[in-house]
Amino acid sequence: MKEGKMIAMLLAGGQGSRLKLLTKEVAKPAVPFGGKYRIIDFPLSNCSNSNIFDVGILTQYKPYHLNSHIGIGSAWDLDRRSGGVRILPPHTDEQGGRWYKGTANAIYENISFIDELDPQYVLILSGDHIYKMDYSSMLDFHKAKKADITISVIEVPWEETSRFGILNTDADQFITEFEEKPKHAKSNLASMGIYIFDWKSLRSYLIADEKNPNSENDFGKNIIPQMKHDGKRTYAYKFEGYWKDVGTVKSYWEANMDLLSEDNALDLYDASWKIYTKNKHLPPQYIGSEASVVNSMVNEGCNVEGSIENSILFNEILIKKGAKVFNSVILSGVTISEDCEIHNAVIMEDVTVKPGTVIGKPDSEFVYLVSKNKIIESE
Amino acid sequence: MKNCLGIINLSEVDSPFGLLSQNRPTSMLPFAGRYRVIDFMLSNMVNSGINTIGVFTGNKVRSVMDHLGSGSPWDLDRKINGLFLFTPTYDYTTINSKVGDIDLFFQNKSFVKNAKQENILMSKTYMLANIDLNAAYEDFIASGADISIVYKKVNDPMNRFIGCDKINFDARGEFESIGTNLGMEENFNLSLEMYFVKKAVYFDMLFDSIEKGNANYMKQAVLNSLSKYKIRTYEFDGYVACINNLRNYFDANMAILNPEISNELFFKHGQIFTKAKDEPSTHYQKNARIKNSFVANGCQIDGYVENSIIFRGVNIAKGCIVRNSILMQKTHVDQNVHLNYVILDKRTTVNQGVTLIGDPSLPYIGGKKAVISKEGKS
Repeated sequence: MKEGKMIAMLLAGGQGSRLKLLTKEVAKPAVPFGGKYRIIDFPLSNCSNSNIFDVGILTQYKPYHLNSHIGIGSAWDLDRRSGGVRILPPHTDEQGGRWYKGTANAIYENISFIDELDPQYVLILSGDHIYKMDYSSMLDFHKAKKADITISVIEVPWEETSRFGILNTDADQFITEFEEKPKHAKSNLASMGIYIFDWKSLRSYLIADEKNPNSENDFGKNIIPQMKHDGKRTYAYKFEGYWKDVGTVKSYWEANMDLLSEDNALDLYDASWKIYTKNKHLPPQYIGSEASVVNSMVNEGCNVEGSIENSILFNEILIKKGAKVFNSVILSGVTISEDCEIHNAVIMEDVTVKPGTVIGKPDSEFVYLVSKNKIIESE
Repeated sequence: MKNCLGIINLSEVDSPFGLLSQNRPTSMLPFAGRYRVIDFMLSNMVNSGINTIGVFTGNKVRSVMDHLGSGSPWDLDRKINGLFLFTPTYDYTTINSKVGDIDLFFQNKSFVKNAKQENILMSKTYMLANIDLNAAYEDFIASGADISIVYKKVNDPMNRFIGCDKINFDARGEFESIGTNLGMEENFNLSLEMYFVKKAVYFDMLFDSIEKGNANYMKQAVLNSLSKYKIRTYEFDGYVACINNLRNYFDANMAILNPEISNELFFKHGQIFTKAKDEPSTHYQKNARIKNSFVANGCQIDGYVENSIIFRGVNIAKGCIVRNSILMQKTHVDQNVHLNYVILDKRTTVNQGVTLIGDPSLPYIGGKKAVISKEGKS
C-alpha cells in the first residue's frame, strides 16, 4: 500500500432521465453547463485542483460524448506520466460480461484496477454535481478523525430535507443515524454523495455486498448502512459553499441562472480554483452595433446582433437583429433568427429558431426545453 | 506538406511599438482579443500539414518561451518532429555582419541538415493572414522552381506598407528583384516574406553567402543567386494585415470589428490556435452596454464599451466609457474611467475617475502592469 495516497473514482454512468431531451444523446455528466462547461468538469477540476491525479471514471450510459470530452485528461492536467485519468466501462471476464448494477457494484467490478494503484484511501465522486471543493481538506479531516468512512454533507433548507439522504451527527461530527428522504428530519445535513473510504476496509465490504443477492449494490442503501451497523467509524464532513444537483430541466435552468446573480457563491472567476474544460480554440465573441447585452454570460465564437438579457450563451451562437432573448440558456451552435422573442427557454445544440418565432412568455412558471423538432414545457 | 520544413524567424533589429515591444518581439504582440501575432503563421503552417517547425526566437526569449512552450496548442508537442526553439547563441564563428539574419541560419544549419524534409518554408510573422500554404507549396513543387516567393498585389494610397519588401517584375512579367517599398507607386507587389526553397539550394545559397560575405540577410542571398536558380512567385489574394508599426497594429486590431475580415482571418483555411487560459465566459453585468466590440472570455464588464477590442480576463467597472481602445489581458478599469484611443498592456490598472485620450494616429499606451491614477495619486 502506498501510504497516504488517495485516488478518486468518479461515477459517470447515470442517465439523468428527468433531464429529458438534455440526456437523450449524452450521459448526465456530459450535459453542458454554465456557458462553456460540462457538468463533469466540476469534479474533474476539483480533483486536479486538490492534487488528486489518479482518477477512474466509470461510464455506462451513452458514453461517446463523455469519452471524447475527457480524452486523455489533458484539459484537467490529468494526462500524467504515471496515473492520470482512466475511463472504466463495464467489461467482460471469465464469467462473461455484466453491466454495472449499482454504484457499489461499479467499484466492485474495478477492484483489480484500484489494487494496481494500491492507494490507502479511495474518494468516491459523482459526475452529476456542480460545486467547487477541496478534497484534500476532506482527507485531512478523515485522517484527523481516524475515520473508516467520511461523508461530505451540506446544510439544505429544512423544507427540502425530504428530498435528500439526511445524516444526524453528534457534536464531534460522528454520524449517529442515517435517514433516507425522511418526512420529519432531525437534521438538515444532506449527503452530497461524496465519500472517502479506507480502501482495505471498503474492499472487503464490496466483496461481501456482492455476495448478498438481496443487495441493491448501492453505497447509500447498502454499503454505508452495513458499515455503520458493524460499528465502523463514520464521520460527516461539513461542506460550505455552492452545491447543486441538477436533477430536472427546471433546476438545470435555475442552476445556470444562479451564475448571473450578484452574490453567486460559485465564483467561476476565482483564479485560485479554476474550472477547466476542453478547449475549442474559437475566436472571441463579437457584439454588434445594434446589440444590447445585459446581465448575461457569453462565450467565444458568438455573434450577437440582437438583444439578450439574463441569459447564458454557449459557444458559436448567432443572435440576429431584432431577436430578443430573456432568461434563457442557449447551448452551442444555435441560431436565433430575426425578430424572435424567447423567454425562459433552454435551447439545445444546433437548433435554428426561425424568424419571428415566439417561445415562452414573461413571468412564466415553466421552462421551455427547445430541441430541433419539439418544445417541452417543464415545471 | 509532409516534405516541407517550416522555419519562422522572429529575430529583428528593432520593433517600433514603443512600450508594447519593450519586452516582446513583434511576433508576440497580443492581437484580436486572445492571440499573439505569431499564432497566425504557426497555425497556417500546421493547418497546411507542416509538422516540423523551427523557430528562431530572437533576443526577447522569455515572452516567446512562455507563449510557445512545448507547442501543444498547435499540436506540435510531438515525439517525432514538432516544434523546435532556437535561442540566440554567442559563439560566432563567421566574420559576417551581425546586422542581418544570415548568421542565424548558419548557426542553426544542423537543424535543417538533420531534418528529413527536402523543402523549406522560411517565414516571418508580421504579415498576418489566414493563408492556404498548401496551395502555394503545390504550385512551387509543380513548377519545378528552386525558390518561390509569396506576394500580394496591393493598392496602398495611404502608404501603409512603407519599408516593406516589394517584388519587382521585368517587362515580360518574370521575377526581377526584391526591393524596399518607399511609397513611390500606389499599386505594387508586396512580398509576404514567405520563401519556399529546395533544401540543396538553401545550403548552397547559405554557404556561398557566408564564404563570399556578400549577404547580411537570407533574402539578399536569394537575390544574389538569381542568375543561378529558377525563382518564381506565388500570388496570394486574401486579406493581409501588416504589423510593422504602432499605427498599423492599432488599425489591424480595429479591422477585426469588420465581420468579413474576422471571418476570413479566423476560419478561411483553418482555425487559429493559441495558448488556452481556461477563462469562464464573459459576464456582461447589469449596467453593461456594448456596441461593435470584440470581446474575449473571462471578462466582467459593467460599463459602456464601443468599437473596442477586449482581451481575456478584463474588468471594466460601472460608469466607465471605453471607446476605440484595446484593453489587453487582465487589465482592470475602475469606476468612472473614460478611455478613447487607448492601448492598455497586460495587467494594467486604471484607477477611479481617470480620463485617458489618445489619437487614432498615436494611441495612448499604458505600459504593462502600470497603475494609472488621477493626478498622480496612487
